[in-house]
Amino acid sequence: MPATVAPAKMADRSVGERLLAALTEAVGEENLLSRRDELIVYECDGYVIEKNVPDVVVFPTSREQLIAVVKVCHEAKVPFVPRGAGTSLAGGTLAVGGGVMISLTRMKRILEINIRDRYAVVEPGVVNVWLTRALAGTGFHYAPDPSSQGACTLGGNVATNSGGPHTLKYGVTVNHVRGLELVLPDGSTVETGGIAEDAPGYDLTGLIVGHEGTFGIVSKIIVNLARDPEAGRTFLGVFDSVDDATATVSGIIAAGIVPAALEMLDNLMIRAIEEAFGFGFPTEAGAVLIIEIDGLEAGLDPDSHAIAEIVRSNGGEVRKSIAWRTRKEPEYVAIWKSRKSAFGAIGRLSPTFCTQDGVVPRTKLPQILRFIMAVGERHGLRIANVFHAGDGNIHPILLFDERDPEQVRRVLIASHEILDECINLGGSVTGEHGIGVEKMEFMPKLFSPEDLAAMVAIRNTFNPDGRCSPSKMLPMGGGCIEKKNPGHHASA
Amino acid sequence: MNWPDPSESYTTLGDGRVATAVECPNTLDALQDAVRRRVAEGLAIYAQGGRTSLDYGGTPLRPGVAVDMTALNRVIDYPAADMTITVESGITLGEIARTLDAEGQRLEIDAPQPDHATIGGVYATNSTGPRRYGSGRPRDQIIGVGFVTADGNVVKGGGRVVKNVAGYDFPKLLTGSLGTLGIISHLTLKVKPKPETSAIVCVGYDSIDVVAHDLARLNTSSTRPVAIELLNVPAAKRTLTEANRSLWTIVLAFEDNAASVAWQIDRIAVELSGTVQSVVQGQAIEPIRVALRDLPTANFGSVSIVANVRYSDVPVLAATVDPGLWTFQSHAGNGVIRLHSLVDDSATIEADVHRLRSSVEPSGGNLIVARCPADRKPSVGVWGSSRPDWVWSEKVKAALDPSGVMNPGRFVGKI
Repeated sequence: MPATVAPAKMADRSVGERLLAALTEAVGEENLLSRRDELIVYECDGYVIEKNVPDVVVFPTSREQLIAVVKVCHEAKVPFVPRGAGTSLAGGTLAVGGGVMISLTRMKRILEINIRDRYAVVEPGVVNVWLTRALAGTGFHYAPDPSSQGACTLGGNVATNSGGPHTLKYGVTVNHVRGLELVLPDGSTVETGGIAEDAPGYDLTGLIVGHEGTFGIVSKIIVNLARDPEAGRTFLGVFDSVDDATATVSGIIAAGIVPAALEMLDNLMIRAIEEAFGFGFPTEAGAVLIIEIDGLEAGLDPDSHAIAEIVRSNGGEVRKSIAWRTRKEPEYVAIWKSRKSAFGAIGRLSPTFCTQDGVVPRTKLPQILRFIMAVGERHGLRIANVFHAGDGNIHPILLFDERDPEQVRRVLIASHEILDECINLGGSVTGEHGIGVEKMEFMPKLFSPEDLAAMVAIRNTFNPDGRCSPSKMLPMGGGCIEKKNPGHHASA
Repeated sequence: MNWPDPSESYTTLGDGRVATAVECPNTLDALQDAVRRRVAEGLAIYAQGGRTSLDYGGTPLRPGVAVDMTALNRVIDYPAADMTITVESGITLGEIARTLDAEGQRLEIDAPQPDHATIGGVYATNSTGPRRYGSGRPRDQIIGVGFVTADGNVVKGGGRVVKNVAGYDFPKLLTGSLGTLGIISHLTLKVKPKPETSAIVCVGYDSIDVVAHDLARLNTSSTRPVAIELLNVPAAKRTLTEANRSLWTIVLAFEDNAASVAWQIDRIAVELSGTVQSVVQGQAIEPIRVALRDLPTANFGSVSIVANVRYSDVPVLAATVDPGLWTFQSHAGNGVIRLHSLVDDSATIEADVHRLRSSVEPSGGNLIVARCPADRKPSVGVWGSSRPDWVWSEKVKAALDPSGVMNPGRFVGKI
């Protein structure tokens, strides 16, 4: 395997000028940025700890332009990295080593929607929520709904195998992608999967989803459309303590109920959200749970009664109960807007914050939350929690002031302790944000040398020169990258 | 090395080929050791589970050893409250079901012959049943995998938590890989609570046009069936009761709490144009459910095929299938069509396979010959026309099994 990638040759003026000319020819002047002041926006994504300005950013508007750009990069032997909306939280779109950044945001057409055969074909720059809007009234929707869905692109969702609050019942991105077109690092293309299910051959679609840009650039996506639920109930459960709330989560699952969503917020998070949105969350509560069930109206009452009883038996109270027929009803919209804007609200509590993304088996939630609390006390840090409780996917938010190097150091140590504990408890260091550059050093803790060697062999199959998304996801040897600064993250 | 004489070995690899020897490891170490030793001896490795689908795929390419996985059959971890289970791959679906049943849970995969089929075999062959409409495919239930590669190493992907995006998705890659990348040694799967009750509704039709209308209606139905099966008369005869003898039958399954199921039974009769012929509920559905589940691997006739088409193309293709030649069963909500031949006239059957294939492939569909006499496989073509992504399947194969010793000759392209 190539241990490192040759640095961008942009420093060589003649190569740089030839490359720029070729890229300009590929996409047109109006779809290219190369002035330093314009490029600075693209120095990082939602992970701001490591920054590097790409040498040039191009915005292909069609698959033909995208292919042309990749061929130019291949022939010039310069590294390149795809980028969607830049909401990634693990540095997946960082231009490590500079080179060409390929922004997919102008490949934004919904190419086809077919309700009878339940699929849509989209370009990678289509924003997640655009597809939802385009489907309104059809009785169908695209199921994965990351909190950043108003901004994040479907191409980015495919790259990181995004989740969201409703994955507990409906699964993550990979469960909803039927086929792809991938532009390989040499500019050739391959279509995998398709509209018909179970195409003979390996499930390359399943392999490519979550590749974090390390195989090439996805240029077309065939997504599955899911039926809208006929009705639903969304409950706000209020608890004195996080332990009572987690016991309720276990109780609901044990009762044989699979909620559509099961989200928890702790006291610090509740207060931040309430201050920002005034939804009516009780600021004195130790924890709240947003519990959502959906299905046929005729069958919802038994589960609703059971959930209310489980909340009560764990010392909680159902403070709100929203019966809805569509996900557009004002109270429904309000409660989810509050939840999905949690990270924005945190900005009111602290100048800087670092969101982690760990996973534990659902039954280990009480342990990991106590551990996080102890870590916060030990390092003198405030940590807010908002997370997908039903999936065991935690998002502790560590608050700090980045102007104080001592706080920064403690945040880094605390983050690592939390992620290490997730591994100890049988979980993972990322449920939906990806490895990117941020968590590469954890890969050897999660996987054996044999596992990693197999992953590297697969990566090298698609990306033999390592020029597409270099230095991402898989450790490259030579030790880990030392981090001096935690990131402030925007959403999850 | 030559193939052993079939009369001297009783362990078939499928298609009339027999194994040079059989390994029956009962620990992961023993499995790794067996693979290392046998590969060093120059033998190919043919993994076997419950031996329900030995003839599936191309003919074994070169002499090798059968690795019987059925002694690796333990439940490794079953944290019921996490709704996951980790098992060794040689455990049968039936044994998993009994384990889960004690906690009121189940695996949502209803592949045929659960008392024989191992979970490793189900995943290697991507075996599914009618419930895939409501519950998804095997790829949607798997969250972690371990497999033993040709060098005897264990490679893992995914994990034991339901949400995890660290590393490449080897669980998906191994699903349907037919033992050609490595032998699946263990898997972690998502499980679900068992529904309170179930019902099956059979609806009869004399016209495929009305079937097409009702299948489209079901796509936007206010009910939520978990299975939509379409049967022709020969398939209905093998699965349903005397009451269901229309030209076509749509069989719908519903699962939920009692109030919801009762409402859906009432509602569907109003929505559909076909004639509701029977409604069965609770335990009474078992004979039909089992018959529909097991029909895909029923061994009558000499040729079995599986076609995958656009959902809306199911009735289009159905209209061209001669009930004198084939049983027709479709997981119609998924575009999956399964045919078993009813006559021994191999020339007629083979010609019809080519006809059907040429009608499904141009619109993006595919047609696999799941079972046929070994000597017919070259002319009939097991996997259908070459697809553009097979070259990448071959490259992935070369990355994980560079010497090509894992189940050689059985999968697509040169795999």
